[in-house]
Amino acid sequence: MTFRLRSGKKGLELRLHDLEATIMDVVWSKKFASFAVGDVLAILEQRRDIAYTTVMTTVTRLYEKGILERQRDGKRYLYSPKFTREEFMESTAREVLDEAVGGHQAMVRLAEKVSEASAGELDDLEALIQKRREELEA
Amino acid sequence: MIEAAFPLLGAAFVVLVVLPAFALLAKAGLLMLERDEAGGPLHGLKLRYVLLTGSSVLPLAWLLSAGLHQAETGKSVLACLLDHDTAERCFEPGFFALVLAVAVLAASLRVIRKHRAARSSSSSASSALAIRVECIVASDAALACLRRRVVVTEDEGFALGTHGWIQPRVFIGTTFAARLSDAMLASALAHEAEHVRALDPLRYLVLQIALAVNPFGRFLLSPHVAHWQAAREAHCDREAVIHGAAPLPLAEAIIRAARPSDREAVALGARDTAILKFRIGMLLAFAERTPTRCCHQGPSTLAVAFVLLLITLFMPHQTGTAALDMLHTGAEHALTYFWR
Repeated sequence: MTFRLRSGKKGLELRLHDLEATIMDVVWSKKFASFAVGDVLAILEQRRDIAYTTVMTTVTRLYEKGILERQRDGKRYLYSPKFTREEFMESTAREVLDEAVGGHQAMVRLAEKVSEASAGELDDLEALIQKRREELEA
Repeated sequence: MIEAAFPLLGAAFVVLVVLPAFALLAKAGLLMLERDEAGGPLHGLKLRYVLLTGSSVLPLAWLLSAGLHQAETGKSVLACLLDHDTAERCFEPGFFALVLAVAVLAASLRVIRKHRAARSSSSSASSALAIRVECIVASDAALACLRRRVVVTEDEGFALGTHGWIQPRVFIGTTFAARLSDAMLASALAHEAEHVRALDPLRYLVLQIALAVNPFGRFLLSPHVAHWQAAREAHCDREAVIHGAAPLPLAEAIIRAARPSDREAVALGARDTAILKFRIGMLLAFAERTPTRCCHQGPSTLAVAFVLLLITLFMPHQTGTAALDMLHTGAEHALTYFWR
């Protein structure tokens, strides 16, 4: 399972597109052992307007990327995550490290990133921690 | 041809050819280890450290020992192109060892001079922080190794770091600590406790000296050094959580240490946003499930490195010094060729 790292992104979005990351976030946060497209759609609809087909396409893409497994349940598919959030982040770790320091070019960028460690990026990371804290307390 | 020829030419050959060649071999090993998917990015940290330092330290140790051994026994007179008249001994390998020792010493001093610990402070704000830290350390068994080892500093911009090669101490800035809750401070101290337990300042010093004595080979190893250091900081995060530190407060403390106002270079190792994101991501995952050690811990790196060093120093006395003879003869032949 290899992904291209997305520059300027963090967390799940380092390896997943925005909606893919949102869907996986829902799946892991709600601790779905298995789910249908409609289950995720019901949660996403509470946050934004989104079409069933958009969610279905994205869930299918997650299945094709090997992040979800699926089995037929009558006329529909039931999906289940192949990895826990921790396992996924662990596997991301190696690629992030390679991206950050793997090679001469990356070493130059390493120095640039120090000066670019903007307050905004750090604010986003703090918000991410706060969000996780709220999820765990819920 | 003068007697200084081999000591100077030989030392130059070592710096220009021998050490870069060993760095290349070490790089090959490091690439294989880093590409090994099993065990994750924190896998093989100890072996990677031994490769990074050993590629410079071990050949130099062997050459130094071999040079002294030959000077002692006088065997090098057979390899030497110089006419030593009636003298039974050729001291050139001894001088060669001396040149290498001086080069290593100079590189070491240059590295050591760059190390400056923060200054301790005794203001009322510092005393209050010292009492706060003492209470936190006393209430947590995992922080026992930090008792009487935390120093408060008011150095501008200093966040948190560990200094001291033999008896490491944790330095903490008053401004940084004022922005942390007790939970964050305890978790951050747990991260530093791992640096203290592992004698990391000494480990980093040896690594920096090993790179300093290999000015050409170190360019091959630099990416792997950065990789190792990033993984080492993440390892300390994980060890802190395994020892009972709360992952989310630790993540928050790391971010606050990385704030632009806190520019202390080694504070929690939070020097780079990509690595920062990786560490925060890892800690977020640890908040759901406490991590376990991913692999067999093995013996202490420093102990293994020390034993390897002793073996290397002892080898020339047992297995002979043919490689040094080749270097000796080769250097003098080369000089004779160009001298004509």
